[in-house]
Amino acid sequence: MNAGSALKPLRSLLPVLVILALIALVPLFSPSNRFLSLAISAGINVIALYGLSVLFGQTGILSMGHAALVGVSAYAAAILARDFGVGFWVALPVAAVASAIFAMIVGVPSLRVGGHHFVIMTFAFGQLLAIVLTNGGDYTGAATGLDIAGPVTLFGADVTELTRYYLMVVAFVTVAAVASWAIIHSSYGRTLRAIRENEKLAASLGINVGRHKIGAFVVSGVFAGVSGVLLAYFLGHISPSQFSSFPSIYLALMVMIGGARLIEGPLAGGILVAFLPEVLNLDPVQSRIVYGICLIAVIMLLPDGLIGGIVRALRGLFAGKAKQEAERDAAPSEARR
Amino acid sequence: MDIFIQQILNGLSIASVITLIAIGVTLIFGLTGIINFAHGEFLMIGGIVTWLAVSAGLGFPIAVMLSILAVGLMGYVLERGLFRFTLERPTNGFIVSLGLIVVLQHVVVLFWNPNQKSIPRPLTTVWEIAGVRIASVRVMVILITIAVVALSFRMITASRYGRALRASVEDRDTAALMGIPVRRYITGVFVLGSALAGLGGALLIALFPITPFTGGTMVMKGFAVALIGGLGNIYGAVAAGLILGIVEGFSAGYGFSQWTDAYSFVLMILVLIVRPHGLFGGTSGPRMAS
Amino acid sequence: MSPILAISGLSKQFGGVTALAGVDLAIEEGEILGVVGPNGSGKTTLFNVVTGVHKPSGGTVLFRGRDITGLAPHAISRAGIGYTFQQAMAFAGLGVLENVQIAGEHARAGGTANPWPTPQALLDFVGLSALGGEKAGVLPFGSLRLLGLALALATRPSLLLLDEPAAGLNDRETTALVGLVRQLPGHGITVCVIDHDMKLMQMLCRRLAVLDFGSKIADGPTEAVLADPKVLDVYLGGDL
Repeated sequence: MNAGSALKPLRSLLPVLVILALIALVPLFSPSNRFLSLAISAGINVIALYGLSVLFGQTGILSMGHAALVGVSAYAAAILARDFGVGFWVALPVAAVASAIFAMIVGVPSLRVGGHHFVIMTFAFGQLLAIVLTNGGDYTGAATGLDIAGPVTLFGADVTELTRYYLMVVAFVTVAAVASWAIIHSSYGRTLRAIRENEKLAASLGINVGRHKIGAFVVSGVFAGVSGVLLAYFLGHISPSQFSSFPSIYLALMVMIGGARLIEGPLAGGILVAFLPEVLNLDPVQSRIVYGICLIAVIMLLPDGLIGGIVRALRGLFAGKAKQEAERDAAPSEARR
Repeated sequence: MDIFIQQILNGLSIASVITLIAIGVTLIFGLTGIINFAHGEFLMIGGIVTWLAVSAGLGFPIAVMLSILAVGLMGYVLERGLFRFTLERPTNGFIVSLGLIVVLQHVVVLFWNPNQKSIPRPLTTVWEIAGVRIASVRVMVILITIAVVALSFRMITASRYGRALRASVEDRDTAALMGIPVRRYITGVFVLGSALAGLGGALLIALFPITPFTGGTMVMKGFAVALIGGLGNIYGAVAAGLILGIVEGFSAGYGFSQWTDAYSFVLMILVLIVRPHGLFGGTSGPRMAS
Repeated sequence: MSPILAISGLSKQFGGVTALAGVDLAIEEGEILGVVGPNGSGKTTLFNVVTGVHKPSGGTVLFRGRDITGLAPHAISRAGIGYTFQQAMAFAGLGVLENVQIAGEHARAGGTANPWPTPQALLDFVGLSALGGEKAGVLPFGSLRLLGLALALATRPSLLLLDEPAAGLNDRETTALVGLVRQLPGHGITVCVIDHDMKLMQMLCRRLAVLDFGSKIADGPTEAVLADPKVLDVYLGGDL
C-alpha cells in the first residue's frame, strides 16, 4: 500500500486504455456499417454514462433526468447550426456549457428538497423538457424535432464518414474515461465519495455538501453535453421523445448494470446494452425485458455492478488459496463488534 | 360556463385515477421509503386485465374485480420476491422498480402488441342538465373513487389495524418495538396499494384507451400528487388530487390542453421548493441506514 | 482572558417543547470542559445548535469574539470548531487513510503549527497506523471511535466538541481515549466533552457544567459541582 500507492491509480486506468485501444483497431477488420453505427451509438452513450457515474457512483446521487441534459445540448447544437451557422467544434463547448447550466437550474431546487425527492424532481424536469420541446413550435420543431446538417471536419478532413466518426467517438470516450478517472483519484473525487458515504459527517469536516452536490450535477451535465452534440451530428435528426424520462431510465440502467463506481463500469454497461441484442439475436422488445431482468438481478446480487462482481469473483479465485492459509494463521484475532 | 363545469368534471375523473395511484405510492413510501416507480405499470396491468376480461365477454364489474385481484396478487408476489430484500436500502428498491417498469411494459408489448387498447364504455348514458353534458361513466369513476377512498379512510382511522399502520408510517422502528408486526404491514400495504392501482387501471380504461406505456405519465402524476400532499400523508394525497384535477380541468377548458401534463410537474416543483414536506406535511420516510 | 467560545442566552424550541431555555456557558482557552446532565437535559440539543445542525430559537454563540450563531455545519467546522458524533464516526465504505485524507482537505488555511502534518501522523497519534489500508467499515467499534477523533482533529480545530466520545467503549479503550484527549490542550486544542458518564468526566475534566431541563444548574470545579446538592438531586439514583 505504501510503496505502490502513487502507481496504483495509474494501474487502474490501464485496462480501460488497453480496451479502448483495441476498440480503436476494429475498423482494420472492415466491420459492417451496422456494426459501426451501433458502436457509435454505444460510445455516445458511454460518454454520458461517465457523467452519470460521477454523479451516482461517486456522489451517490441518482438522476432520472440525465437524458434531458443530453437533449439540451443536442437541441443547442441543432439550433446553433440552424440560426447562427455554428459548426460542430464551436457548438461542442457552447452546448456542453448549456447542459451544465441546465443541470444547475435543475439541480439547485431539486437538491434543496432533499434526498428522497431529488430523483422524482429530476424525472419531472426530464418530462417537462420533453413537453416544452414538443410545444416549442417551429423553434424546436415540435414533436417532429429538428434536423441538423453539415459536415464535421477535423484538421480539414471530413469525419462525417462512418469509420472516421467512429474513431472520433472512441477518442471522445477515451477523454471521458480519463476525465472520470482523474476525478475519481483527485481530492475532489474523495470529497464526492465522502458525501456519498455520509452527508452529516462530511459537513462536520468542513465540506459544503449542497454546493458539491450541485457541482457534481453540473459536472455530469458537461459529460452529457458532449454526448448530446456527438449524438445530434451523428443522427442528423433529433426529437423530444429521445430525451424524456424513459431514455434517462435506460441510461441509469446501463450505468448500474456495468457498475457505477468503477472506471470500467460505464464502458461495459454501454457496450453490453448496445450489443447484447445482436449477440443473443433478440428483438428490441425481448432485449428490453432482458435489460430489466439484468438490472434487477445486478442490484439484488451484485451491488457493485457486473464488472465489480467479475473483479471480485476473479480476486476470490486467485486469492482463495492465499487467503485460506492467511486465515488459518490469523484465526484467533477476530474480535469484531 | 357549461364547458367549464364539464372540464372540471373531466379533470376530476382523471384526478380520481391519479389519487388511487397516489394513495398506494404514499403508503408504500411512508412505510418502506421505497419510491416504487413501477406503480404506474401496476395501473397499466390493471387496465390490460380489464381489457382482456371485457374482450373475453365478461361484464365490466367482474373485469374490475379481476383486475383488483390480479394486480393485488402481483403486488404480493413482487413484495415477497423482490422488494422485501431492499428494505434496508430503499434506493435499491427504487432501482428494482425501474427494472420492473422496463420488464412489465415490454412483457405486455410482447404478448399483446404496443397498440392502444380500449373497451366499450361500461355506461353510455349522457345526462344533459341545464345545457351541461355529463357523461355517466365519469360520474361513476368519481363515485367509485370516493367510495373506495372513504372506505380506506375508515379502515385507517377507525380500526386497530389502521392505527397500527399509521403508527408504523410515522416511525417504523418504534412501531416495531411496540410489537406491531411491521413486516406484515409492509406486505399488506403493497397489496392494498397494488389493488388500488388495479382498480385505477380498470377505471382508466373505462375513460380512455391505454397503451403499455400509459403507466409512465400516470405514475409521475401520482407522485406529484403524493408529494404535493406530503409523502406518507393520505389526506394530503386526496386534497392534492382534487387540486390537480381542478387545475387540469381549467387548463383544458381554457385552451391550454397541450400543456396539461406539465401542470402537475410544475405544481409539484413549485410546492416542493416552497414546502419541501408538501402542502399538508408528510414524513420524510423511515430513517435511512447511513 | 476572553473565552474561546461564549454561549449566551441560547435557547431552542421544538414545536412547543423547550429543549434549551437560555443557556449561558463560557469555554476557556486550553481547558477540558465537561457538560453533563441526564438524558433529555438538552446536552445533545446544545451540541447540535452550536455545531449548526439546528438553528437556535434565540441567543448567540461567539467563537473567539466572532458571531457564529446559526452558521451551517460545514462553516462551523471551517471556523475552527471540530466535532464528533455519537453515531456517524467515519465513512464506512472508504479506506481508513482516505477517511483522514478527506478530513484534512477542507480544513481552514493558515492557523497555528499543525501537530500532525500528514494523515499518517494523525493515524500514528490515535494508534491506528497499522490499519491505514483497511476499509473503515470493518474496524472494530473502539477503533472506529478513535478514527472519528482523528477525522475531527484532521480539520485542525482550535476547539473540539466531543459528543459522548466513550459510548460503547470498554474500560481499556476508554482509558486510551482519555489519554489522547488529555494531550490535546498541549497541542493548542481546547476540548468540550458532552456526556452523562460521570466516571469519564472525573477522569477528563477539571471543570463541569450541569444541564437539567434545558437550563444550566451548576458550573464550576469538578469536585465542587459533584458536591452540589442540586446536582446530586438531579442524579439521585442515577449515574453517580
